[in-house]
Amino acid sequence: MGNDRYNVIIVGAGPAGSAAAIRLAQNDLSVALIERGEKPGTKTMFGGSIYADPTSRVIPEFWEDAPLERPLVTDEFWLLDRDSAVKVGFTGLKYKRSPYNKFSALRSKFDPWFAQQAVNEGADLMTSTLVKDLVYEKTGLLNKKVAGVKLDSGEVIHSDVVLLAEGASANLTEKAGLRGEIETSSMFLYVKEELALPAEKIESRFNLEPNEGANVGMIGYPTSGIAGKGGLWTNKESISLIVGGYLNQIIKKGASPYQMLSRFKAHPLVSRLIDGAKTVAYKSRIIPKGGYESLPQLYDDGILVAGDAAVMISGRRGTDLAMLTGLYAADIIAQARAAEDYSSRVLKGYDKRVSNSFFMKNIKKGKGGHQYQKDHPDADYLLTKAANDAAYKFFEVGSESSSEKMKKIRQEILDMQPIKKTVKDIYYGLQDWSVF
Amino acid sequence: MSNFLKDNQSPLDYVTIKVDDQSHIKIKSQKKCLNKCENKPCTYYCPTRVFSWDDQSNKIKVAYERCIECLACPFGCPLNNIDWNFPQGGYGVIYQPNGQ
Ligand SMILES: Cc1cc2nc3c(=O)[nH]c(=O)nc-3n(C[C@H](O)[C@H](O)[C@H](O)COP(=O)(O)OP(=O)(O)OC[C@H]3O[C@@H](n4cnc5c(N)ncnc54)[C@H](O)[C@@H]3O)c2cc1C
Ligand code: SF4
Ligand code: SF4
Repeated sequence: MGNDRYNVIIVGAGPAGSAAAIRLAQNDLSVALIERGEKPGTKTMFGGSIYADPTSRVIPEFWEDAPLERPLVTDEFWLLDRDSAVKVGFTGLKYKRSPYNKFSALRSKFDPWFAQQAVNEGADLMTSTLVKDLVYEKTGLLNKKVAGVKLDSGEVIHSDVVLLAEGASANLTEKAGLRGEIETSSMFLYVKEELALPAEKIESRFNLEPNEGANVGMIGYPTSGIAGKGGLWTNKESISLIVGGYLNQIIKKGASPYQMLSRFKAHPLVSRLIDGAKTVAYKSRIIPKGGYESLPQLYDDGILVAGDAAVMISGRRGTDLAMLTGLYAADIIAQARAAEDYSSRVLKGYDKRVSNSFFMKNIKKGKGGHQYQKDHPDADYLLTKAANDAAYKFFEVGSESSSEKMKKIRQEILDMQPIKKTVKDIYYGLQDWSVF
Repeated sequence: MSNFLKDNQSPLDYVTIKVDDQSHIKIKSQKKCLNKCENKPCTYYCPTRVFSWDDQSNKIKVAYERCIECLACPFGCPLNNIDWNFPQGGYGVIYQPNGQ
Protein backbone atom coordinates (compact mmCIF):
# COMPACT_ATOMS: atom_id res chain seq x y z
CA MET A 1 0.00 0.00 0.00
CA GLY A 2 2.47 2.68 -1.12
CA ASN A 3 4.32 4.69 1.53
CA ASP A 4 3.04 5.65 4.95
CA ARG A 5 3.66 9.34 4.53
CA TYR A 6 2.29 11.62 1.82
CA ASN A 7 2.22 15.31 1.11
CA VAL A 8 -1.54 15.09 0.74
CA ILE A 9 -4.23 12.63 1.78
CA ILE A 10 -7.54 13.04 -0.01
CA VAL A 11 -10.63 11.45 1.51
CA GLY A 12 -13.11 10.42 -1.22
CA ALA A 13 -12.57 9.63 -4.90
CA GLY A 14 -15.58 11.56 -6.21
CA PRO A 15 -15.28 14.49 -8.63
CA ALA A 16 -13.81 16.80 -5.96
CA GLY A 17 -11.21 14.33 -4.69
CA SER A 18 -10.09 13.04 -8.06
CA ALA A 19 -9.83 16.52 -9.60
CA ALA A 20 -7.63 17.63 -6.72
CA ALA A 21 -5.55 14.45 -6.95
CA ILE A 22 -4.94 14.95 -10.67
CA ARG A 23 -3.73 18.51 -10.19
CA LEU A 24 -1.59 17.73 -7.13
CA ALA A 25 0.06 14.75 -8.77
CA GLN A 26 0.77 16.89 -11.84
CA ASN A 27 2.55 19.28 -9.51
CA ASP A 28 4.68 16.41 -8.22
CA LEU A 29 3.16 16.18 -4.78
CA SER A 30 2.74 12.69 -3.34
CA VAL A 31 -0.96 11.95 -3.04
CA ALA A 32 -3.03 9.22 -1.41
CA LEU A 33 -6.59 9.16 -2.76
CA ILE A 34 -8.71 7.08 -0.38
CA GLU A 35 -12.12 5.64 -1.28
CA ARG A 36 -14.37 3.44 0.85
CA GLY A 37 -16.06 1.79 -2.14
CA GLU A 38 -14.48 -1.26 -3.75
CA LYS A 39 -14.05 1.01 -6.76
CA PRO A 40 -14.73 4.74 -7.22
CA GLY A 41 -18.32 5.22 -8.42
CA THR A 42 -19.79 2.27 -6.50
CA LYS A 43 -21.21 4.61 -3.84
CA THR A 44 -22.09 7.66 -5.89
CA MET A 45 -25.02 8.58 -8.07
CA PHE A 46 -26.40 11.72 -9.71
CA GLY A 47 -28.91 12.71 -12.41
CA GLY A 48 -26.86 13.52 -14.35
CA SER A 49 -25.05 15.97 -16.44
CA ILE A 50 -21.29 16.39 -16.63
CA TYR A 51 -20.46 19.96 -17.63
CA ALA A 52 -17.94 20.38 -20.41
CA ASP A 53 -16.24 23.67 -19.51
CA PRO A 54 -15.39 23.05 -15.84
CA THR A 55 -14.41 19.44 -16.47
CA SER A 56 -12.08 20.41 -19.30
CA ARG A 57 -10.21 22.64 -16.86
CA VAL A 58 -9.12 19.46 -15.14
CA ILE A 59 -8.62 17.39 -18.28
CA PRO A 60 -8.63 19.29 -21.57
CA GLU A 61 -10.81 17.58 -24.20
CA PHE A 62 -11.82 14.89 -21.71
CA TRP A 63 -14.66 13.93 -24.06
CA GLU A 64 -12.18 12.21 -26.36
CA ASP A 65 -11.54 9.58 -23.73
CA ALA A 66 -14.07 9.73 -20.86
CA PRO A 67 -16.96 7.24 -20.60
CA LEU A 68 -19.80 9.67 -21.35
CA GLU A 69 -23.28 8.82 -22.60
CA ARG A 70 -24.60 11.50 -24.98
CA PRO A 71 -23.76 15.17 -25.63
CA LEU A 72 -26.89 17.00 -24.45
CA VAL A 73 -28.43 19.13 -27.19
CA THR A 74 -31.96 19.40 -25.81
CA ASP A 75 -32.80 20.92 -22.45
CA GLU A 76 -36.42 21.06 -21.37
CA PHE A 77 -38.19 22.22 -18.27
CA TRP A 78 -41.70 20.94 -17.61
CA LEU A 79 -44.29 22.23 -15.21
CA LEU A 80 -46.06 18.93 -14.83
CA ASP A 81 -49.67 18.66 -13.69
CA ARG A 82 -51.89 15.62 -13.54
CA ASP A 83 -52.52 15.15 -17.26
CA SER A 84 -50.74 18.11 -18.80
CA ALA A 85 -47.41 19.89 -18.91
CA VAL A 86 -46.31 23.42 -19.71
CA LYS A 87 -42.96 23.00 -21.42
CA VAL A 88 -40.05 25.35 -21.93
CA GLY A 89 -37.16 24.08 -23.98
CA PHE A 90 -34.17 24.65 -26.17
CA THR A 91 -32.35 22.51 -28.70
CA GLY A 92 -28.92 23.65 -29.86
CA LEU A 93 -27.11 21.37 -32.29
CA LYS A 94 -23.91 23.32 -31.79
CA TYR A 95 -23.72 21.46 -28.48
CA LYS A 96 -23.03 18.17 -30.19
CA ARG A 97 -19.63 19.39 -31.31
CA SER A 98 -16.47 20.41 -29.51
CA PRO A 99 -16.28 22.28 -27.13
CA TYR A 100 -19.72 20.86 -26.25
CA ASN A 101 -21.89 22.01 -23.34
CA LYS A 102 -23.04 19.07 -21.21
CA PHE A 103 -23.04 15.29 -21.39
CA SER A 104 -25.31 12.74 -19.81
CA ALA A 105 -23.28 10.27 -17.78
CA LEU A 106 -23.41 7.45 -15.24
CA ARG A 107 -21.24 7.97 -12.19
CA SER A 108 -20.45 4.30 -11.82
CA LYS A 109 -18.62 4.60 -15.15
CA PHE A 110 -17.36 8.17 -14.91
CA ASP A 111 -15.92 8.17 -11.37
CA PRO A 112 -13.58 5.16 -11.88
CA TRP A 113 -12.28 6.69 -15.11
CA PHE A 114 -11.72 10.06 -13.47
CA ALA A 115 -9.86 8.53 -10.52
CA GLN A 116 -7.75 6.50 -12.96
CA GLN A 117 -6.54 9.76 -14.51
CA ALA A 118 -5.18 10.69 -11.07
CA VAL A 119 -3.44 7.32 -10.86
CA ASN A 120 -1.96 7.89 -14.31
CA GLU A 121 -0.49 11.15 -13.03
CA GLY A 122 1.09 9.32 -10.12
CA ALA A 123 -1.44 9.39 -7.26
CA ASP A 124 -1.90 6.30 -5.07
CA LEU A 125 -5.52 5.16 -5.09
CA MET A 126 -6.61 3.04 -2.12
CA THR A 127 -10.03 1.46 -2.49
CA SER A 128 -12.18 -0.54 -0.04
CA THR A 129 -10.67 1.75 2.58
CA LEU A 130 -12.75 3.75 5.00
CA VAL A 131 -11.21 6.75 6.72
CA LYS A 132 -12.47 6.65 10.30
CA ASP A 133 -10.79 9.62 11.86
CA LEU A 134 -8.36 12.46 11.60
CA VAL A 135 -5.01 12.35 13.33
CA TYR A 136 -3.50 15.49 14.88
CA GLU A 137 -0.08 16.67 15.92
CA LYS A 138 0.80 19.39 18.40
CA THR A 139 2.22 22.56 16.90
CA GLY A 140 2.67 24.48 20.11
CA LEU A 141 1.39 24.58 23.62
CA LEU A 142 -2.22 25.10 22.62
CA ASN A 143 -2.31 24.51 18.91
CA LYS A 144 -2.61 21.37 16.90
CA LYS A 145 -2.82 20.61 13.24
CA VAL A 146 -4.27 17.76 11.23
CA ALA A 147 -1.42 15.40 10.43
CA GLY A 148 -3.03 12.38 8.83
CA VAL A 149 -5.89 9.89 8.96
CA LYS A 150 -6.83 6.70 10.70
CA LEU A 151 -8.26 3.90 8.57
CA ASP A 152 -10.87 1.30 9.52
CA SER A 153 -8.07 -1.25 9.65
CA GLY A 154 -6.60 0.79 12.49
CA GLU A 155 -3.66 1.84 10.35
CA VAL A 156 -2.56 5.48 10.50
CA ILE A 157 -1.26 7.35 7.45
CA HIS A 158 0.51 10.67 7.86
CA SER A 159 0.50 13.70 5.59
CA ASP A 160 1.28 17.40 5.54
CA VAL A 161 -2.33 18.18 4.76
CA VAL A 162 -5.68 16.36 4.46
CA LEU A 163 -8.31 17.33 1.91
CA LEU A 164 -11.84 16.21 2.79
CA ALA A 165 -13.79 15.44 -0.39
CA GLU A 166 -16.12 13.02 1.35
CA GLY A 167 -19.41 14.15 -0.16
CA ALA A 168 -22.71 15.07 1.42
CA SER A 169 -22.48 13.14 4.68
CA ALA A 170 -19.53 15.28 5.70
CA ASN A 171 -18.77 13.10 8.73
CA LEU A 172 -15.14 14.01 9.11
CA THR A 173 -15.89 17.64 8.34
CA GLU A 174 -18.17 17.59 11.36
CA LYS A 175 -15.64 15.70 13.48
CA ALA A 176 -13.05 18.32 12.60
CA GLY A 177 -15.42 20.92 14.03
CA LEU A 178 -15.79 22.65 10.68
CA ARG A 179 -19.54 22.40 10.43
CA GLY A 180 -22.52 22.27 12.74
CA GLU A 181 -25.45 19.90 12.57
CA ILE A 182 -27.22 19.58 9.26
CA GLU A 183 -30.97 20.17 9.33
CA THR A 184 -33.34 17.94 7.40
CA SER A 185 -34.78 21.10 5.87
CA SER A 186 -31.39 21.54 4.17
CA MET A 187 -31.42 18.08 2.62
CA PHE A 188 -32.92 16.74 -0.53
CA LEU A 189 -33.51 13.00 -0.81
CA TYR A 190 -33.53 11.57 -4.33
CA VAL A 191 -34.24 8.14 -5.73
CA LYS A 192 -33.21 7.06 -9.20
CA GLU A 193 -33.90 4.33 -11.66
CA GLU A 194 -31.88 3.52 -14.75
CA LEU A 195 -34.03 1.93 -17.41
CA ALA A 196 -32.61 0.10 -20.43
CA LEU A 197 -34.04 1.11 -23.80
CA PRO A 198 -32.59 0.56 -27.30
CA ALA A 199 -30.87 3.61 -28.81
CA GLU A 200 -33.29 3.85 -31.76
CA LYS A 201 -36.26 4.04 -29.40
CA ILE A 202 -34.61 6.74 -27.33
CA GLU A 203 -33.82 8.72 -30.46
CA SER A 204 -37.32 8.49 -31.93
CA ARG A 205 -39.04 9.31 -28.62
CA PHE A 206 -36.92 12.36 -27.90
CA ASN A 207 -36.50 13.49 -31.49
CA LEU A 208 -32.74 12.94 -31.47
CA GLU A 209 -30.13 11.63 -33.83
CA PRO A 210 -27.40 9.22 -32.77
CA ASN A 211 -24.95 10.86 -30.39
CA GLU A 212 -27.46 13.54 -29.34
CA GLY A 213 -29.07 13.57 -25.92
CA ALA A 214 -31.89 15.25 -24.03
CA ASN A 215 -32.47 16.31 -20.45
CA VAL A 216 -35.89 17.13 -19.01
CA GLY A 217 -36.30 18.77 -15.59
CA MET A 218 -39.74 18.69 -14.02
CA ILE A 219 -41.51 20.23 -11.07
CA GLY A 220 -45.07 19.92 -9.81
CA TYR A 221 -46.70 16.53 -10.16
CA PRO A 222 -43.62 14.36 -9.57
CA THR A 223 -43.68 15.18 -5.89
CA SER A 224 -47.06 16.92 -5.36
CA GLY A 225 -47.24 19.05 -2.24
CA ILE A 226 -43.59 18.40 -1.41
CA ALA A 227 -41.13 20.89 -2.82
CA GLY A 228 -39.23 18.55 -5.07
CA LYS A 229 -38.14 17.73 -8.55
CA GLY A 230 -38.13 15.09 -11.17
CA GLY A 231 -35.60 14.70 -13.94
CA LEU A 232 -34.89 12.56 -16.94
CA TRP A 233 -31.70 12.03 -18.92
CA THR A 234 -31.14 10.03 -22.08
CA ASN A 235 -28.06 7.83 -21.97
CA LYS A 236 -26.67 5.76 -24.85
CA GLU A 237 -28.99 2.83 -24.28
CA SER A 238 -30.84 3.74 -21.14
CA ILE A 239 -32.83 6.45 -19.45
CA SER A 240 -32.03 7.89 -16.04
CA LEU A 241 -35.05 8.97 -14.06
CA ILE A 242 -34.83 10.74 -10.72
CA VAL A 243 -37.35 12.15 -8.30
CA GLY A 244 -36.93 13.64 -4.86
CA GLY A 245 -37.78 16.33 -2.38
CA TYR A 246 -36.83 18.03 0.86
CA LEU A 247 -36.23 15.36 3.49
CA ASN A 248 -38.14 17.22 6.22
CA GLN A 249 -41.20 17.45 3.97
CA ILE A 250 -40.99 13.78 3.03
CA ILE A 251 -40.95 13.04 6.74
CA LYS A 252 -43.78 15.43 7.53
CA LYS A 253 -46.06 14.25 4.75
CA GLY A 254 -45.47 10.56 5.29
CA ALA A 255 -44.15 10.14 1.75
CA SER A 256 -42.16 7.12 0.62
CA PRO A 257 -39.49 7.92 -1.96
CA TYR A 258 -39.99 4.64 -3.78
CA GLN A 259 -43.69 5.22 -4.11
CA MET A 260 -42.99 8.75 -5.31
CA LEU A 261 -40.88 7.21 -8.06
CA SER A 262 -43.55 4.70 -9.01
CA ARG A 263 -46.15 7.44 -9.20
CA PHE A 264 -43.84 9.56 -11.33
CA LYS A 265 -43.18 6.68 -13.72
CA ALA A 266 -46.92 6.12 -14.08
CA HIS A 267 -47.64 9.71 -15.14
CA PRO A 268 -49.14 9.53 -18.64
CA LEU A 269 -46.59 11.95 -20.10
CA VAL A 270 -43.67 10.14 -18.46
CA SER A 271 -44.82 6.55 -18.92
CA ARG A 272 -44.88 6.96 -22.71
CA LEU A 273 -41.23 7.99 -22.65
CA ILE A 274 -40.15 4.90 -20.73
CA ASP A 275 -42.64 2.47 -22.21
CA GLY A 276 -41.03 -0.95 -22.67
CA ALA A 277 -37.88 0.13 -20.86
CA LYS A 278 -36.53 -2.36 -18.37
CA THR A 279 -35.37 -1.24 -14.93
CA VAL A 280 -31.72 -2.14 -14.48
CA ALA A 281 -30.62 -0.12 -11.46
CA TYR A 282 -32.14 1.54 -8.39
CA LYS A 283 -30.13 4.14 -6.49
CA SER A 284 -30.69 6.78 -3.86
CA ARG A 285 -28.78 9.68 -2.40
CA ILE A 286 -29.18 12.87 -0.45
CA ILE A 287 -27.90 16.20 -1.64
CA PRO A 288 -27.19 19.14 0.65
CA LYS A 289 -29.51 21.93 -0.47
CA GLY A 290 -28.73 24.33 2.28
CA GLY A 291 -26.95 26.79 0.06
CA TYR A 292 -25.14 29.69 1.56
CA GLU A 293 -26.44 29.55 5.12
CA SER A 294 -25.03 26.12 5.77
CA LEU A 295 -21.54 26.45 4.32
CA PRO A 296 -18.98 24.99 6.69
CA GLN A 297 -15.66 26.54 7.49
CA LEU A 298 -13.51 25.52 4.53
CA TYR A 299 -10.08 25.21 6.16
CA ASP A 300 -8.14 24.85 9.37
CA ASP A 301 -4.57 23.97 10.24
CA GLY A 302 -3.57 21.12 7.95
CA ILE A 303 -7.04 20.56 6.51
CA LEU A 304 -9.32 21.72 3.66
CA VAL A 305 -12.87 20.81 2.58
CA ALA A 306 -14.12 20.64 -1.04
CA GLY A 307 -17.18 19.57 -3.03
CA ASP A 308 -20.46 18.43 -1.48
CA ALA A 309 -18.86 18.20 1.95
CA ALA A 310 -18.40 21.95 1.64
CA VAL A 311 -22.00 22.31 0.34
CA MET A 312 -20.79 23.57 -3.03
CA ILE A 313 -24.11 23.15 -4.77
CA SER A 314 -25.97 25.62 -6.91
CA GLY A 315 -29.11 24.84 -8.86
CA ARG A 316 -28.54 21.72 -10.90
CA ARG A 317 -24.79 21.90 -10.68
CA GLY A 318 -22.61 19.97 -8.32
CA THR A 319 -19.93 17.83 -9.97
CA ASP A 320 -18.47 20.89 -11.65
CA LEU A 321 -18.29 22.93 -8.46
CA ALA A 322 -16.81 19.89 -6.77
CA MET A 323 -14.09 19.73 -9.44
CA LEU A 324 -13.40 23.47 -9.31
CA THR A 325 -13.13 23.56 -5.51
CA GLY A 326 -10.89 20.47 -5.78
CA LEU A 327 -8.64 22.39 -8.18
CA TYR A 328 -8.57 25.50 -6.00
CA ALA A 329 -7.67 23.39 -2.99
CA ALA A 330 -4.86 21.74 -4.98
CA ASP A 331 -3.47 25.15 -5.98
CA ILE A 332 -3.37 26.37 -2.40
CA ILE A 333 -1.76 23.15 -1.21
CA ALA A 334 0.96 23.60 -3.83
CA GLN A 335 1.55 27.12 -2.47
CA ALA A 336 1.62 25.78 1.07
CA ARG A 337 4.27 23.30 0.08
CA ALA A 338 6.38 26.00 -1.54
CA ALA A 339 6.10 28.02 1.67
CA GLU A 340 6.52 24.89 3.81
CA ASP A 341 3.61 26.12 5.87
CA TYR A 342 0.36 24.15 6.05
CA SER A 343 -1.22 26.24 8.76
CA SER A 344 -4.46 28.10 8.27
CA ARG A 345 -2.44 31.22 7.60
CA VAL A 346 -1.67 29.90 4.12
CA LEU A 347 -4.67 27.63 3.65
CA LYS A 348 -7.13 30.46 4.15
CA GLY A 349 -6.19 31.51 0.63
CA TYR A 350 -8.54 28.73 -0.44
CA ASP A 351 -11.45 30.34 1.34
CA LYS A 352 -10.67 33.61 -0.37
CA ARG A 353 -10.50 31.98 -3.78
CA VAL A 354 -13.84 30.23 -3.26
CA SER A 355 -15.50 33.37 -1.89
CA ASN A 356 -14.51 35.35 -4.95
CA SER A 357 -15.57 32.70 -7.45
CA PHE A 358 -18.49 33.10 -9.85
CA PHE A 359 -20.31 30.18 -8.28
CA MET A 360 -20.17 31.62 -4.78
CA LYS A 361 -22.14 34.54 -6.16
CA ASN A 362 -24.72 32.04 -7.40
CA ILE A 363 -24.76 30.17 -4.13
CA LYS A 364 -25.27 33.42 -2.24
CA LYS A 365 -27.96 34.44 -4.68
CA GLY A 366 -29.76 31.17 -4.06
CA LYS A 367 -29.90 31.96 -0.36
CA GLY A 368 -33.31 33.59 -0.49
CA GLY A 369 -34.63 30.82 -2.70
CA HIS A 370 -33.87 28.18 -0.15
CA GLN A 371 -35.60 30.11 2.58
CA TYR A 372 -38.51 30.71 0.26
CA GLN A 373 -38.91 26.99 -0.43
CA LYS A 374 -38.77 26.39 3.30
CA ASP A 375 -41.54 28.87 3.97
CA HIS A 376 -43.67 27.81 1.00
CA PRO A 377 -43.29 24.07 0.48
CA ASP A 378 -46.26 24.11 -1.90
CA ALA A 379 -44.83 26.85 -4.14
CA ASP A 380 -43.76 24.62 -7.04
CA TYR A 381 -46.99 22.72 -6.92
CA LEU A 382 -49.22 25.78 -6.96
CA LEU A 383 -47.18 27.40 -9.67
CA THR A 384 -47.45 24.31 -11.82
CA LYS A 385 -51.14 24.03 -11.28
CA ALA A 386 -51.75 27.68 -12.14
CA ALA A 387 -49.63 27.45 -15.28
CA ASN A 388 -51.36 24.30 -16.51
CA ASP A 389 -54.86 25.60 -15.80
CA ALA A 390 -54.01 28.76 -17.67
CA ALA A 391 -52.52 26.81 -20.58
CA TYR A 392 -55.57 24.56 -20.84
CA LYS A 393 -57.73 27.67 -21.07
CA PHE A 394 -55.39 29.36 -23.52
CA PHE A 395 -55.25 26.51 -26.00
CA GLU A 396 -58.90 25.57 -25.77
CA VAL A 397 -60.86 26.41 -28.90
CA GLY A 398 -64.02 28.06 -27.59
CA SER A 399 -66.36 30.80 -28.57
CA GLU A 400 -65.11 33.62 -26.39
CA SER A 401 -62.95 36.43 -27.69
CA SER A 402 -59.27 36.24 -26.95
CA SER A 403 -59.36 39.29 -24.72
CA GLU A 404 -62.14 37.73 -22.66
CA LYS A 405 -60.08 34.59 -22.51
CA MET A 406 -56.99 36.40 -21.27
CA LYS A 407 -59.03 38.24 -18.69
CA LYS A 408 -60.35 34.97 -17.34
CA ILE A 409 -56.93 33.40 -17.21
CA ARG A 410 -55.55 36.39 -15.39
CA GLN A 411 -58.39 36.31 -12.90
CA GLU A 412 -57.87 32.64 -12.19
CA ILE A 413 -54.20 33.04 -11.49
CA LEU A 414 -54.93 36.02 -9.25
CA ASP A 415 -57.54 33.98 -7.40
CA MET A 416 -55.17 31.15 -6.66
CA GLN A 417 -52.80 33.09 -4.49
CA PRO A 418 -51.53 36.62 -4.06
CA ILE A 419 -49.94 37.66 -7.33
CA LYS A 420 -46.69 38.65 -5.70
CA LYS A 421 -46.24 35.12 -4.50
CA THR A 422 -46.96 33.69 -7.95
CA VAL A 423 -44.30 35.82 -9.54
CA LYS A 424 -41.86 34.90 -6.80
CA ASP A 425 -42.71 31.24 -7.26
CA ILE A 426 -41.79 31.43 -10.92
CA TYR A 427 -38.62 33.33 -10.19
CA TYR A 428 -37.33 31.02 -7.47
CA GLY A 429 -38.52 27.92 -9.27
CA LEU A 430 -36.49 28.84 -12.34
CA GLN A 431 -33.54 30.08 -10.36
CA ASP A 432 -33.28 26.80 -8.52
CA TRP A 433 -33.29 24.98 -11.82
CA SER A 434 -31.17 27.36 -13.81
CA VAL A 435 -27.92 26.26 -15.32
CA PHE A 436 -26.59 29.86 -15.35
CA MET B 1 -40.27 -8.26 4.85
CA SER B 2 -43.17 -7.10 2.78
CA ASN B 3 -42.79 -5.84 -0.73
CA PHE B 4 -43.12 -2.22 -1.73
CA LEU B 5 -45.89 -2.44 -4.23
CA LYS B 6 -48.75 -4.71 -4.99
CA ASP B 7 -47.11 -6.07 -8.11
CA ASN B 8 -44.49 -7.76 -5.96
CA GLN B 9 -41.60 -5.76 -7.34
CA SER B 10 -38.88 -4.76 -4.97
CA PRO B 11 -36.30 -2.15 -5.89
CA LEU B 12 -33.70 -4.35 -4.25
CA ASP B 13 -33.90 -6.62 -7.29
CA TYR B 14 -31.87 -3.92 -9.05
CA VAL B 15 -29.19 -3.33 -6.44
CA THR B 16 -25.98 -5.20 -5.64
CA ILE B 17 -25.02 -5.22 -1.97
CA LYS B 18 -22.02 -6.89 -0.37
CA VAL B 19 -23.41 -7.62 3.06
CA ASP B 20 -21.12 -7.39 6.06
CA ASP B 21 -21.77 -9.77 8.94
CA GLN B 22 -22.04 -6.83 11.31
CA SER B 23 -24.72 -4.17 11.24
CA HIS B 24 -23.67 -0.60 10.55
CA ILE B 25 -27.02 0.69 11.83
CA LYS B 26 -28.19 0.62 15.43
CA ILE B 27 -31.20 2.02 17.22
CA LYS B 28 -29.94 3.90 20.25
CA SER B 29 -33.07 3.49 22.35
CA GLN B 30 -35.99 1.26 21.42
CA LYS B 31 -37.92 2.90 24.25
CA LYS B 32 -37.79 6.20 22.41
CA CYS B 33 -39.20 4.55 19.28
CA LEU B 34 -42.02 3.04 21.28
CA ASN B 35 -42.98 5.98 23.46
CA LYS B 36 -41.71 9.15 21.90
CA CYS B 37 -42.04 8.71 18.17
CA GLU B 38 -45.53 8.89 16.85
CA ASN B 39 -45.15 8.52 13.10
CA LYS B 40 -41.97 6.45 12.98
CA PRO B 41 -40.72 8.19 9.84
CA CYS B 42 -37.76 5.84 9.40
CA THR B 43 -40.31 3.23 8.29
CA TYR B 44 -41.23 5.30 5.25
CA TYR B 45 -38.46 7.77 4.32
CA CYS B 46 -35.94 4.98 3.79
CA PRO B 47 -35.87 4.19 0.06
CA THR B 48 -35.29 0.47 0.65
CA ARG B 49 -37.35 -0.06 3.83
CA VAL B 50 -34.53 -0.96 6.12
CA PHE B 51 -36.70 -0.12 9.15
CA SER B 52 -39.99 -1.75 10.02
CA TRP B 53 -42.15 -1.74 13.11
CA ASP B 54 -42.56 -5.17 14.66
CA ASP B 55 -45.90 -5.48 16.46
CA GLN B 56 -44.86 -8.64 18.26
CA SER B 57 -41.88 -7.20 20.07
CA ASN B 58 -42.94 -3.53 19.89
CA LYS B 59 -39.60 -2.73 18.40
CA ILE B 60 -38.10 -1.22 15.28
CA LYS B 61 -36.45 -3.97 13.27
CA VAL B 62 -33.37 -3.01 11.30
CA ALA B 63 -32.67 -4.92 8.09
CA TYR B 64 -29.24 -3.32 7.63
CA GLU B 65 -28.47 -5.65 4.73
CA ARG B 66 -30.99 -3.67 2.65
CA CYS B 67 -29.28 -0.29 3.17
CA ILE B 68 -28.11 1.49 0.01
CA GLU B 69 -26.32 4.27 1.91
CA CYS B 70 -28.43 7.12 0.61
CA LEU B 71 -27.16 8.99 3.70
CA ALA B 72 -30.63 10.13 4.80
CA CYS B 73 -29.74 8.38 8.08
CA PRO B 74 -29.01 9.60 10.63
CA PHE B 75 -30.47 12.97 9.62
CA GLY B 76 -33.97 11.59 9.06
CA CYS B 77 -34.77 10.42 12.58
CA PRO B 78 -36.42 13.36 14.38
CA LEU B 79 -35.14 12.09 17.75
CA ASN B 80 -31.60 11.51 16.55
CA ASN B 81 -32.06 7.93 17.65
CA ILE B 82 -30.28 6.14 14.81
CA ASP B 83 -26.60 5.37 15.17
CA TRP B 84 -25.62 5.12 11.52
CA ASN B 85 -22.07 4.45 10.39
CA PHE B 86 -20.49 3.71 7.06
CA PRO B 87 -20.12 -0.02 6.44
CA GLN B 88 -16.47 -0.99 6.58
CA GLY B 89 -14.41 -0.36 3.44
CA GLY B 90 -15.49 -2.40 0.42
CA TYR B 91 -18.78 -3.53 2.00
CA GLY B 92 -22.33 -2.29 1.50
CA VAL B 93 -23.92 -1.09 -1.71
CA ILE B 94 -22.05 -1.51 -4.99
CA TYR B 95 -23.68 0.69 -7.60
CA GLN B 96 -23.08 -0.46 -11.12
CA PRO B 97 -23.75 1.18 -14.44
CA ASN B 98 -27.02 -0.10 -15.86
CA GLY B 99 -27.01 -2.87 -13.29
CA GLN B 100 -24.35 -4.80 -15.21
C1 LIG C 1 -30.04 12.89 -7.46
C2 LIG C 1 -28.87 13.76 -7.72
C3 LIG C 1 -28.72 14.34 -8.97
C4 LIG C 1 -27.62 15.13 -9.27
N1 LIG C 1 -27.49 15.62 -10.52
C5 LIG C 1 -26.38 16.29 -10.84
C6 LIG C 1 -26.13 16.67 -12.19
O1 LIG C 1 -26.92 16.37 -13.09
N2 LIG C 1 -25.01 17.34 -12.47
C7 LIG C 1 -24.10 17.66 -11.50
O2 LIG C 1 -23.09 18.26 -11.81
N3 LIG C 1 -24.29 17.31 -10.22
C8 LIG C 1 -25.41 16.63 -9.87
N4 LIG C 1 -25.59 16.23 -8.56
C9 LIG C 1 -24.62 16.65 -7.54
C10 LIG C 1 -23.35 15.84 -7.60
O3 LIG C 1 -23.60 14.47 -7.62
C11 LIG C 1 -22.48 16.16 -6.41
O4 LIG C 1 -22.38 17.55 -6.26
C12 LIG C 1 -21.07 15.59 -6.57
O5 LIG C 1 -21.12 14.19 -6.60
C13 LIG C 1 -20.17 16.03 -5.44
O6 LIG C 1 -18.91 15.44 -5.60
P1 LIG C 1 -17.95 15.19 -4.37
O7 LIG C 1 -16.70 14.69 -4.94
O8 LIG C 1 -17.94 16.36 -3.48
O9 LIG C 1 -18.69 14.05 -3.50
P2 LIG C 1 -19.17 12.53 -3.90
O10 LIG C 1 -19.43 12.45 -5.34
O11 LIG C 1 -20.24 12.24 -2.95
O12 LIG C 1 -17.88 11.67 -3.57
C14 LIG C 1 -17.46 11.40 -2.27
C15 LIG C 1 -16.67 10.11 -2.27
O13 LIG C 1 -16.04 9.93 -1.03
C16 LIG C 1 -16.19 8.62 -0.56
N5 LIG C 1 -16.12 8.69 0.90
C17 LIG C 1 -16.93 9.38 1.74
N6 LIG C 1 -16.52 9.27 3.00
C18 LIG C 1 -15.42 8.50 2.99
C19 LIG C 1 -14.54 8.02 4.01
N7 LIG C 1 -14.72 8.35 5.28
N8 LIG C 1 -13.50 7.24 3.65
C20 LIG C 1 -13.31 6.90 2.35
N9 LIG C 1 -14.10 7.32 1.34
C21 LIG C 1 -15.14 8.11 1.66
C22 LIG C 1 -17.53 8.20 -1.12
O14 LIG C 1 -17.64 6.80 -1.22
C23 LIG C 1 -17.53 8.88 -2.48
O15 LIG C 1 -16.99 8.10 -3.49
C24 LIG C 1 -26.68 15.42 -8.26
C25 LIG C 1 -26.81 14.84 -7.00
C26 LIG C 1 -27.88 14.00 -6.72
C27 LIG C 1 -28.00 13.36 -5.37
S1 SF4 D 1 -37.73 7.63 13.41
FE1 SF4 D 1 -36.18 7.36 15.01
S2 SF4 D 1 -37.30 7.38 16.97
FE2 SF4 D 1 -38.80 7.12 15.33
S3 SF4 D 1 -39.08 4.92 15.19
FE3 SF4 D 1 -37.48 5.44 13.71
S4 SF4 D 1 -35.55 5.25 14.81
FE4 SF4 D 1 -37.21 5.25 16.35
S1 SF4 E 1 -29.00 5.39 4.80
FE1 SF4 E 1 -30.72 5.42 3.38
S2 SF4 E 1 -30.89 3.34 2.63
FE2 SF4 E 1 -29.64 3.26 4.50
S3 SF4 E 1 -31.07 2.86 6.15
FE3 SF4 E 1 -30.86 5.07 6.04
S4 SF4 E 1 -32.52 5.73 4.68
FE4 SF4 E 1 -32.29 3.51 4.40
